[in-house]
Amino acid sequence: MARRPVPTLPHLLAELGATTVEGGGADHADEALAASVRLLEAAAREAATVGGWTADDPLRLAKGRVGWLARCPRRALAPTDGDLTDDLVAGLVVDAAAKLATLVPHRRPTVEAAVRYLEATGDTAVARHLADRADGGALQADVAGRVALLAGLWPELDAGWWPRVEEPVRMALAGGAVVVSGRLDLLLGGPPTPRPAVVVEVKGGRWHDSARADAHLYALLLARRDRRAPAAVVTVVADGTTQVEPVRPAVLATAADRVVHALEVAATIAAGEPAPAHPGPHCAHCSLRRGCPEAALAPTAGS
Amino acid sequence: MRDAATVAERLAGHLAATVTAMVAAAPAPVAPVYVSWGAAAEVATCPPRYRAAGEAGWRFPGWAPATAGAAAGRAALDHHLQATTPPAGPPPLPAPLEAVRSWMRSGTAVGAPGVAGWVAELRVRGDGTTMAATAATAARWLAGFVRLWGWPLPSRLALLNVPREGGAGGAPRWWPARRSPVSVASGADARLGRPGRTGDLSLVVHRPSSGGDRDVHRRAAYEAAAGALALRVAPEAVVVSGGDTGERVRVVVDDDLLAAGAEMIAAVVRARVTALTAGFDPGDARPSVLCRWCEEAGRCPAGAAWLAGPGRWHAGLPVLAAEG
Repeated sequence: MARRPVPTLPHLLAELGATTVEGGGADHADEALAASVRLLEAAAREAATVGGWTADDPLRLAKGRVGWLARCPRRALAPTDGDLTDDLVAGLVVDAAAKLATLVPHRRPTVEAAVRYLEATGDTAVARHLADRADGGALQADVAGRVALLAGLWPELDAGWWPRVEEPVRMALAGGAVVVSGRLDLLLGGPPTPRPAVVVEVKGGRWHDSARADAHLYALLLARRDRRAPAAVVTVVADGTTQVEPVRPAVLATAADRVVHALEVAATIAAGEPAPAHPGPHCAHCSLRRGCPEAALAPTAGS
Repeated sequence: MRDAATVAERLAGHLAATVTAMVAAAPAPVAPVYVSWGAAAEVATCPPRYRAAGEAGWRFPGWAPATAGAAAGRAALDHHLQATTPPAGPPPLPAPLEAVRSWMRSGTAVGAPGVAGWVAELRVRGDGTTMAATAATAARWLAGFVRLWGWPLPSRLALLNVPREGGAGGAPRWWPARRSPVSVASGADARLGRPGRTGDLSLVVHRPSSGGDRDVHRRAAYEAAAGALALRVAPEAVVVSGGDTGERVRVVVDDDLLAAGAEMIAAVVRARVTALTAGFDPGDARPSVLCRWCEEAGRCPAGAAWLAGPGRWHAGLPVLAAEG
């Protein structure tokens, strides 16, 4: 019988908190994980031969790059400028607020506290951006609304969940010539606790479907690291959306297929082929749009 | 079977002679040189970049959430073990964040050495945000350590570099001679086994983010040598656990590894002595991805060439220039 859907993070944790890995975990995904790793290893070796990467000079893939290599390979080669946008700042503040809500559960997070948290971790750019904005009040109010919404969605976490923020995960393939890595916003449970692992990703803006693929990739990386798949990946969005997705074997397989595709595309680019451009709404924010042969074909806002 | 104490003694004698000669040949008095893994890694990456940093860049940058993670994580784990180990049987599995909070509340005091004193000052100042950020890095360290080393911890495992009241238990250190300005600190987090002539001792280094294989072997080489010097016994292995990979890499300590580690230590002293005369001199630059952020890149031909060539690629793929 199919289990009823679990719509929110607190509901999911209440349900999973009563289970143990032996009794209700995701061990069924072990075979899928082994198959995915074999697939990735073979694909990485082949891609490294074409792309020329080595352990000393590897191809590094994180969620953004994997995503762009699928959506628009040319965009994957854009320089990473340090300019902060309002959306990015809002995302960083909401993300920091979620971490504070986890680390200091008895105090409701605020924009000011989240900005101080970012400064404590060495990120002073957000505070500068907010201070430099002429209409900073409007931005601040917008972000405060998002933080409040997120705080309302945030669960009380008992210590047995072992909450960890910014948890790093990394998978080396082809003898280190390919490295796939990520940083989980929040990880709950998993070994050595008796509870199943739950990956939580926080999005400061609106829900979009690529967030789902990012979460799948994190499930794969965590499964590889812990030799056990997480029970679920959860994306909490500051527009009030919560996406709860159980990690079934198909999730791991889909994530692995996506990385394999990224490897194939990256290998042809590294070997000297031009990176194809796929126009889309992302063109409006792409630093390579000038001079891009395809950007003119992109749909404009409202079309 | 090798005599681990004799191996360490031979290493200490050789390195003391090398370092003392370097200091004696310096054109001016050498300020205190604290050789740590951080300094050794910086020099190994690019000697001119390290030399250019000057006194401000050579000294410990100060406690911050990013630099306190391992120290606070070790201290919190030690505090948990001290506070909860029953007369018989293993202590309860620590919940990382709770263990760190408990240590912050009751295991720190103003004036205490190291990270404990700094956290106590934060508490007195009411800087809860920096404490929260520190709790995050410490809990991450502690959780990864316990996940990779199991619970209860191996019976032969003992934490290192945990300052306790009275000053005991800080980072094991070695001085090449009395009144030498040079000291070498071991950065190992724990040991497996006891220092003894048979060498039944391994050093443990836990890193939440482990870097690549080359980095792991460099770290193992440094800790093998620094550990042999500070503990006066050559370890048989250095085990590096990576929180992000979930792997433990065991690097066997042999003469080659010890020699590589000793050279890393000597290179730090050499860089400091060279800085007195040559300062930043790009002659022995080792261009790498760090050139992108290096303040000296503009006056470093090797770095400039790298940035114009391989450096135009980022993490395995070319970077396209934005037009206009």
